[in-house]
Amino acid sequence: MNNHIVELLDIHKCYGDVVALDGVTLKVDRGEHVAIIGSSGSGKSTLLRCINHLEVIDRGTIRINGSALAETHNGGVRYRKEAAIRQLILQTAMVFQHFNLFGHLTCLDNITIAPVDIKKEDPREVRERAMDLLRMVGLESKAKAYPSQLSGGQKQRVAIARALAMRPSILLFDEPTSALDPEITGEVLRVIRDLAAQGYTMVLVTHEMGFARDVADRIVFMDQGKIIEEGHPDQVFDSPASERLGLFLQPVS
Amino acid sequence: MDLSLGYISTLWPALLRGLGETLTLFCLTLVLSLPLGLPVALGSISRFWPIRVLSRIYVWLFRGTPLMLQLFFFYYGLGIMATSYDMPILRLGRFPAVVLTFALNYAAYFAEIYRAGIQSIDRGQYEAAKTLGFTRIRTMFKIIIPQTIRRIIPPVSNETITLVKDTALANVIAVPELLKVAKDAANRDTNPTAYLLAAVCYLAITFVLTLVYQKLEKRFSRHEQEAV
Repeated sequence: MNNHIVELLDIHKCYGDVVALDGVTLKVDRGEHVAIIGSSGSGKSTLLRCINHLEVIDRGTIRINGSALAETHNGGVRYRKEAAIRQLILQTAMVFQHFNLFGHLTCLDNITIAPVDIKKEDPREVRERAMDLLRMVGLESKAKAYPSQLSGGQKQRVAIARALAMRPSILLFDEPTSALDPEITGEVLRVIRDLAAQGYTMVLVTHEMGFARDVADRIVFMDQGKIIEEGHPDQVFDSPASERLGLFLQPVS
Repeated sequence: MDLSLGYISTLWPALLRGLGETLTLFCLTLVLSLPLGLPVALGSISRFWPIRVLSRIYVWLFRGTPLMLQLFFFYYGLGIMATSYDMPILRLGRFPAVVLTFALNYAAYFAEIYRAGIQSIDRGQYEAAKTLGFTRIRTMFKIIIPQTIRRIIPPVSNETITLVKDTALANVIAVPELLKVAKDAANRDTNPTAYLLAAVCYLAITFVLTLVYQKLEKRFSRHEQEAV
């Protein structure tokens, strides 16, 4: 038994003629913080979304906590049954670029609805946990507010609390600050940094290079559907081995 | 024209009965067609193509032909078939025929409003629900449909007001609704006052409906307030 929370093995995916993922393999260990970087269209978000079945792959194997979500089969892929997939992806939780809070529910209800309705947990206990999470992200006072009454940064912090309330074994961040004004990305990044310090396993797709370097133990650089280079942040940022990564990092340095 | 209280008071009892008939028809149609529209809407976006095709054909038939033709078919047409195939069950009374026709017809229009409402919800809502473990059906009823309600109130209200006036079509198969009663009175007395009174009744109904829908809209927009 290995210690991988997520294993993606030889993942292939096309949109029509466009190759989105071209034989990608990525394994994430318990407690690890992986940041995936790359230009738009490199396949980094697509890869992240394969983990929780928001994208369907054409070929490859996906395992979550050792249990297969999809497996290579006859040169293609065989997915588990819908109910099994639903159970498996409950071990993951995603924070989206556009927050995707439920507009008809208050912040508190956004956080409690899935634990109570889907996981059938005790409503009172879930409520207390949700309030603790809101306190942690500094939005205790917004419990009764609706998402439309919040700023972008506040929405994203509620979305993070909603993800944490599911007690996932891995957190997936899909460009969590890309839809935010530059001056408020800080409040969201601070929360993510705290979570990393608390030992959460996370995979983060981001354009914030400084933040990626700071928070990740491993940087994965993707280009044209392939992982070009990966390694410790210092090594990847300070001495990129490939020309493409060098070019990609140029505007930053 | 005779607007004297004396003449009007002779018209009122019959007009009130007609108004009652109109309101009953209106309410029954709404009570049946508002819920019936939902399965049709869900069917028309189903992943299972036979259901999708059937739902869309249904909508096409009922939106694509005149309501009056449908009324004639369900009353006279089925009546003829009842005789020629010896199937008395097909013979509907005037009132049931109208209610059935209107309910089926309006369900088609409501289904299209619901479908558009459902499809206007951002894909991110489905994705978030999926990552939180919601099944497709649960997502629909717990996340998507509640958010469509506010958006569909204006078109539903529009359709409802059209229905108030469409009930007058029932007079073509001699259902004693408001317009039929007014027409009979006007012809009998060779006096158009009854029409005027009927118009006032229709206007009163639509006025009340407008107020009701304004209230509803306000109630369902509480989660769409501006940032505070």
